[in-house]
Amino acid sequence: MPFAFFISMAYQIEVTHLSKHYQVHEKEPGLMGSLRSFVARKYRAVKAVDDVSFNIGQGEMVGFLGPNGAGKTTTLKVLAGLLYPTSGKATVLGFTPNKRENAYLKQFTLVMGQKQQLMWDLPAQETFLVNQAIYEIPRAQYDATIKELDDLLELGPIMKKQVRKLSLGERMKCELAAALLHRPRVLFLDEPTIGLDVTMQARIREFIAEYNRRYGATVMLTSHYMADVTALCDRIIVIDKGRLFYDGNFRALIERVAPYKIIKLQLAQPTTAEALAQFGQVESCNGLTAVLHVPRATATESAARLLSQVKVEDVTFEEPPVEDIIREVFAGIGKDEARGAR
Amino acid sequence: MGRKYLALFRSAWMLSLEYRAEGVVWMMTNLMSIIMLVVWLSISHGGPVGGFSSGDFVAYYMVGLIVRQVTGVWASWGLSDDIREGALSPQLVRPIHPIHRHVAANWAEHVMRLTMLLPIVAVVLIITPDARLYLTPISIAAFMLSLLGAWLVSFLSDYAIGILSFWTSQATAFTQAMQGLKVVFSGILAPLQMFPAAMQGALNWLPFRYMLAFCNEILLGQTRDERLLFGLAVQWAWVLFFFILVRILWKLGARSYGAVGA
Repeated sequence: MPFAFFISMAYQIEVTHLSKHYQVHEKEPGLMGSLRSFVARKYRAVKAVDDVSFNIGQGEMVGFLGPNGAGKTTTLKVLAGLLYPTSGKATVLGFTPNKRENAYLKQFTLVMGQKQQLMWDLPAQETFLVNQAIYEIPRAQYDATIKELDDLLELGPIMKKQVRKLSLGERMKCELAAALLHRPRVLFLDEPTIGLDVTMQARIREFIAEYNRRYGATVMLTSHYMADVTALCDRIIVIDKGRLFYDGNFRALIERVAPYKIIKLQLAQPTTAEALAQFGQVESCNGLTAVLHVPRATATESAARLLSQVKVEDVTFEEPPVEDIIREVFAGIGKDEARGAR
Repeated sequence: MGRKYLALFRSAWMLSLEYRAEGVVWMMTNLMSIIMLVVWLSISHGGPVGGFSSGDFVAYYMVGLIVRQVTGVWASWGLSDDIREGALSPQLVRPIHPIHRHVAANWAEHVMRLTMLLPIVAVVLIITPDARLYLTPISIAAFMLSLLGAWLVSFLSDYAIGILSFWTSQATAFTQAMQGLKVVFSGILAPLQMFPAAMQGALNWLPFRYMLAFCNEILLGQTRDERLLFGLAVQWAWVLFFFILVRILWKLGARSYGAVGA
């Protein structure tokens, strides 16, 4: 089926040389600053997104990483049609997002952890019903979807309670349900787990993964919680100060930036850092405990050697924390820029 | 579209039942009309003023209560907040223009308040012996049409002001200015016949008369025949004007929407 093959290979999200610049008005602190800004406003151009290009295929789950203000949310907003690009081009499902055609609006969803579409003073169910009408979801499909979402998210009693009386986690569940009632093919999730506790974060993650599996939906996700990204996304896009820094396989990035594993040792007898140095890079050693970084490729071999030569009470192998890796990536960006400036 | 409106209306109705305290605010706005009625009644005690007998004043202000209820709009406040706080974003990604939600919210309130208001107005009109309405098939039809026009002029002009929030964070200052002008020039303070002739001439062309006084005049039989047709033409020209203005402003505004913090 060459045609079907073609469809599945076509990119659903195409972003080419996308830039979005803002005019931001600056205010100096204090009353005098306010006065000055009242009389003569100063504006500064901010390059929120600067010449970014990437493509995303159907069914992919892509993590969008970057420090605060990197341009993640701005990019998502352009893709959702909320913002007009300053230059460059973005298409999603073949549509130009900012035209906001109904045919497009019916096929994607935007979930913002910090903004809600649920009506605050009514039960979430009421928002569901409004969405059913607005998205023109047939009754049978609506019932089926609600049942499915209920199975996955346990909405039962909470969708009948006033939204303002729900906990943050319960509200997020309802928010997701409201956003997915029309079974969108593309999901833009901006910090969907923000403020949730670890268990609830895991639930939401499982749910997103399940939705992706069931409907082959394309997912773009930003999150401050690295666990969200590691659990869901094989591919990540890293941007900083509006510029694309990395686009590719998550594992590959980890291996590039952190080509080591961590061995934590509980020693039977006090040992010196020098004695351990032959097995790997010693990060810390204070008598009975030690932490070593060993090259990924030779990790097993080094460990075997170590265990045969040193008396060890307990040993654990760990992957470097992803937070650290990302921090290193961003530190690297800073260095590159400093070098470029020189 | 009908089904969509029904759903929006239903939720708006439920919301307005949630916020009962707003009813108090609403009573206050009506108080203004009642006070003006009392003032004019005491002035017209000795005899008709500007062609208005005491009964005419009662009829004028009672019809006015209903027209004012229908033309009461506050969409610009909500819209302005939504734009400033970025709450517009979730609404913009839905396949329905956000204006429809505001229309539904507006009418949900109207229906609830009119059901309370209509019986009171009817009773006052019946027990006031010389408060007479000019009720003919044509005047009633023209009144309904003018009432729809009055709502559209009020709602669309208010919405146009709300859209200014895309550029300025203080659009509600314009709303308040507009409300002030409306109180004076739409006929709430005094029937427009009380104004100097030159001013009346100007008011015939401005939008304010068509937000209230024009409807009252039709039901009191003061504006008929070719003057009625002229009024309807001007009113609906304003409807068209504000409709186009809203469309243009929205197009431009959406372009400069910053989606702050959303």
